[in-house]
Amino acid sequence: MIVTKKRELNKLKENIKSHKSVFLLGCAECATLCATGGEPELKAMKEALESEGKEVTGIFAAKSGCQVLGTKLDLKPFKEAINKADCIIVMSCGAGTQTAAELYESKSVYPANDSMFLGNMTRFQVFDERCSLCGECILDKTGGICPITRCAKSLLNGPCGGSQGGKCEISPNLPCAWQLIIERLSRIGSLHKLEEIVPPKNWDQVPTGKSSDKKRGK
Amino acid sequence: MKSGSNLEKVLEGGHFALTAEVGPPKGALATVIRRKGELLKFYCDAMNVTDNQTAIVRMSSWSGCILLKELGIDPVMQMVVRDRNRIAIQSDILGAVALGIRNVLCLSGDHQKFGNHPTAKGVYDIDSTQLIQTLKTMRDEKKFLCGEDIAGELPLFIGAVENPFADPFEYRVQRLAKKVKAGADFIQTQAVFDVDKFSRWMKMLRDQGLDKQVHILAGIIPIKSVGMARYMRDNVSGIGVPDEILTRMEEAKDAKEEGVNIALEIIDRLKEIEGIHGIHIMAVAWEDIIPVIVERAGLLPRPIL
Repeated sequence: MIVTKKRELNKLKENIKSHKSVFLLGCAECATLCATGGEPELKAMKEALESEGKEVTGIFAAKSGCQVLGTKLDLKPFKEAINKADCIIVMSCGAGTQTAAELYESKSVYPANDSMFLGNMTRFQVFDERCSLCGECILDKTGGICPITRCAKSLLNGPCGGSQGGKCEISPNLPCAWQLIIERLSRIGSLHKLEEIVPPKNWDQVPTGKSSDKKRGK
Repeated sequence: MKSGSNLEKVLEGGHFALTAEVGPPKGALATVIRRKGELLKFYCDAMNVTDNQTAIVRMSSWSGCILLKELGIDPVMQMVVRDRNRIAIQSDILGAVALGIRNVLCLSGDHQKFGNHPTAKGVYDIDSTQLIQTLKTMRDEKKFLCGEDIAGELPLFIGAVENPFADPFEYRVQRLAKKVKAGADFIQTQAVFDVDKFSRWMKMLRDQGLDKQVHILAGIIPIKSVGMARYMRDNVSGIGVPDEILTRMEEAKDAKEEGVNIALEIIDRLKEIEGIHGIHIMAVAWEDIIPVIVERAGLLPRPIL
């Protein structure tokens, strides 16, 4: 899921200081699981803003905030509430915020959350980064453990000389991804998969290095 | 000859090679490098110049190498993949060769988090194994990574590092095998303190015939003080300082002398290990001791080839 964290309320108040009324849009998917944009958070935000003297014209958690057409349909019953609001605060990820910006071209839209990473919930509301969305999956070669995401140096032919006692050199709390990969491949009898030298990666599809628009269609 | 460097000649000639590490200054004083060069010139076959070691900004490796070259010393340019993408790497290699640098040591580099710019973006566009392969392709096939032709020859002696004391221990030899396959001509290891463990690693390496395919130079760090021994045990990733050595340093009347004795004993034992073709001395902030160690280890005079 897309892991998000709440932004400081003061930041949000600064964003909306010239607006009198707001509509709150959450998301029933990732943001609900992260407790950053589900029903309870929407209600809490409504109370917080009302206590600041703002009018909240409506609240709604979209089924999937990143689904543009679905969200458009879901929001039909809220047409009046949204029209009445000076702005929309989106309590989901950056994709959800941009859905709102796309659907309401002439209305101000503000994010209530910071989007952090694509992660797994490993315990209740504990999230670990697992995937870098790099566009060229290597998990078939690495026993289902991603070194791009989980090795501090994103090594493709690891481990480096800093792997000690199963931990990464940068922190005693961080497992060495390559130690995990080697252990797992050994367990399943596939260590030979690492003999081949993995060639330099095409980083063009990675969010931070990309030089073209990413789209995945039929 | 792949590069014709002095280091290559010494190793290919079957001599027991000796390299020393030179740490560049946190400033632009050429005299710092020249002084170290003059001091060590007759006590080693080549000198490594580190590349922003521990991610602390220092004078660049290639410029240090040029300063040493002007003194008639064969430099080993260290290159980490932490700070350069594949474009900068290949460009720097062309420049280094143009300036007469022949030996290049390929490393991942200490993570930027350890250095004096911990918020820097780590590049890691390619990894150290891929760097070795890139240099081999540039040298042997005269091609860039992208497949385009390189004009002219690129004489290079390609080095790699390995840390036999990192984990997982059993896999370290496989990792080395990958680096050899990628094109490493010589290996400089992390400092050896636990000779027994190192011997086990060397045996695994010989069992795979790797000692016949690559020159192994074992790392030596002379210990200057008890504090340094403790610091290395606790803070330097991948160096195991056994308790026995720590106790000897603690009990010694003259810690420096004891540090030299320990280094000499380790060198003596390393010389006996089959497949070791030389040693690499990393006397961090204690370069002055290298001539003493080299002389007392009976490694003089250095071959003139």
